[in-house]
Amino acid sequence: MNDATKRPLRVAFVGKGGSGKSTVAALFARILAQKGARVVALDSDPMPGLAYALGIDVDDAPLPDDLVVAGPKSGPEWILRPDVDPLSLVEKFSVKTPEGVHYFQFGNTRGTWGALSRGQHAWSEVVRRLPESDWNLIGDLPGGLRQPMNGWGKYAEVALVVTEPTLKGILTARQLAKLTRAKWGPRTIAVVVNRTRPTDDPSAIAARIGQPLAGSVPECAVIQRAEMELRSPLGLPGTEAVETAIRALVQTAQVL
Amino acid sequence: MKIAVVGKGGVGKTSVSAVLARSLGRLGRQVVALDCDTNPNLGLSLGVGEEETQRILTMRQQVDAGDVEHALGWDDLLDRFGTDAPDGVRLGIVNRIENPEPSCPCCGLSPERLLSQANFGNAIVIGDFEAGLGSYSRVSNEKLDITIVVIEPTPRSIDVGLRALDHARSHHQGRIMAVANKVRNSNEVAMIASAIGDAPLTVVPFSEAVASADRKGTSVFDEASADDFIAPIQQLASSLN
Repeated sequence: MNDATKRPLRVAFVGKGGSGKSTVAALFARILAQKGARVVALDSDPMPGLAYALGIDVDDAPLPDDLVVAGPKSGPEWILRPDVDPLSLVEKFSVKTPEGVHYFQFGNTRGTWGALSRGQHAWSEVVRRLPESDWNLIGDLPGGLRQPMNGWGKYAEVALVVTEPTLKGILTARQLAKLTRAKWGPRTIAVVVNRTRPTDDPSAIAARIGQPLAGSVPECAVIQRAEMELRSPLGLPGTEAVETAIRALVQTAQVL
Repeated sequence: MKIAVVGKGGVGKTSVSAVLARSLGRLGRQVVALDCDTNPNLGLSLGVGEEETQRILTMRQQVDAGDVEHALGWDDLLDRFGTDAPDGVRLGIVNRIENPEPSCPCCGLSPERLLSQANFGNAIVIGDFEAGLGSYSRVSNEKLDITIVVIEPTPRSIDVGLRALDHARSHHQGRIMAVANKVRNSNEVAMIASAIGDAPLTVVPFSEAVASADRKGTSVFDEASADDFIAPIQQLASSLN
C-alpha cells in the first residue's frame, strides 16, 4: 500500500510555545506530500510561522469576509454561506507549496486583538465542516493551552504533543494530554521530543508525560539557522538526521 | 510598580521574569511574581520546584469556587493562595487552564483585570504574560509602569516583539524596554537593535546554564556559571530599583 492510498491522517501539533511545532509540522506535511498524499496544512496561529517552514513566503492569506453570513439567533455568530462547499474553499484559497501541500491559514491578527474578523470565522467554520475525504489534515496550533483546550483542533484524530526535553515542556504536555477527556478530543495523543541531545532520554520524557512516544527529533544548528533566516530547512545539508526522524514520525503516525 | 513581561512563546519570558524578580528581592524590595500564563510554570524558574508549582491554587479558581469574597484585595489573594519563593519573592498564579472547555479566560478574574484594577501599593509586581499579545493587550491603558519585551534573534520573535512595542506605545503602558535574549554574536544583537529602534535594550547572551536549569526544572539563578545570563538582568533590576 503506498501513502496516497492509506487512510488519511488528521493530526494536530500542539505544545508549549517555542517548542518547534511549526517546523516539525511543516516538515511532516511536506514529507507526506512528497510521498504522493494530498495534504492540507492548517494554521490557526494568529501570528503564523508555518508558512516559512513550508517553503512559501506568504504569511497572510486571509479568507474573504463574504464567505460567512450572520448565524441563527440561538446559534453561532457567523455561519458559512450555504452555497459554498468547505473542501472547495480549501482548494481555492490555500497557498500551494512546491510539493503540493495546501497551506490554509486562519489570517494574521491585525487591528483589535481578541475579536475575530469575518474571514477568521469563515476559516473556523470551513475547518469545522471539512468532510471525511482523501485529504490528510496536518494542523499547527498556537503554543500553550488556550486554543487546544477550547477545541480548535477538533478535526484531529491524533494530537502530537511537541516538547523540548525540559520540565516546562513536560508539564505543558501533561496538561495537553487531558484533551483525550473531551468528547471531541483526539483518539490518541503521542509525544514528539524535539531538539534532543545525545544525553536526553526521549522514552523517559514520554513516560513522565504519561503518553506514548511517537518520535524524537535531534537538535540541529542548520535548522535553527534556517528558522533565523526564514528559509525552508528541507533538504539543506546537515539536516539529514532531522529528516530521517520526521520520516519515521510520519510512518509512526500512520499506525497510531 | 507594575511590570509586564511579554513576547513570543519560548523566547525566555519566564526565565527573565524569575531572575528579575529574585534580583529585586535581593535588593530588598517587596516583590510579587505574578504568573499570568494559563499554563503557569514561573514557579519552576523561581526555584519552588515541580510539586509546588503544580500545587499552587490559582486566584481565579478560588474566587470562582465562591470560597472567598469577591471583594478580596490583591494582598489577601496573594496571602491565601500564593507561595513563598526564594529571596523574599511572593509568587501568585492568576488562572490555570486545567481541563478541556475551560470557562472563558477573559471573563472573571484574569491577569488583565488584576493588573488594570489593583494598585499593589509599594510592591513591585512582575507579570509574566502568556505568549503572544492577547491577554497583555486587554490591560487597560496606562495601567502599567513598565513593559519589558523579550525578543530572541528569530524573525518571528522580532515580529511579535515589534507588535508588543507598538501596542505598549500606543496604549501608554509605561516605560518600554527590550531584552535581547539567547544572542550568540554581535550580528544578532544588531538585528534586534535595528528592528526595535530607540527602546533601551538589555542584551542577554545564549546560556548553557539556562538549558541545564530548564531540563531539571530549577532556577537558573541557582545554577553555577550562570553569570552571563544573570548579570545583565541584575543590572536591569538595579536600574528599576
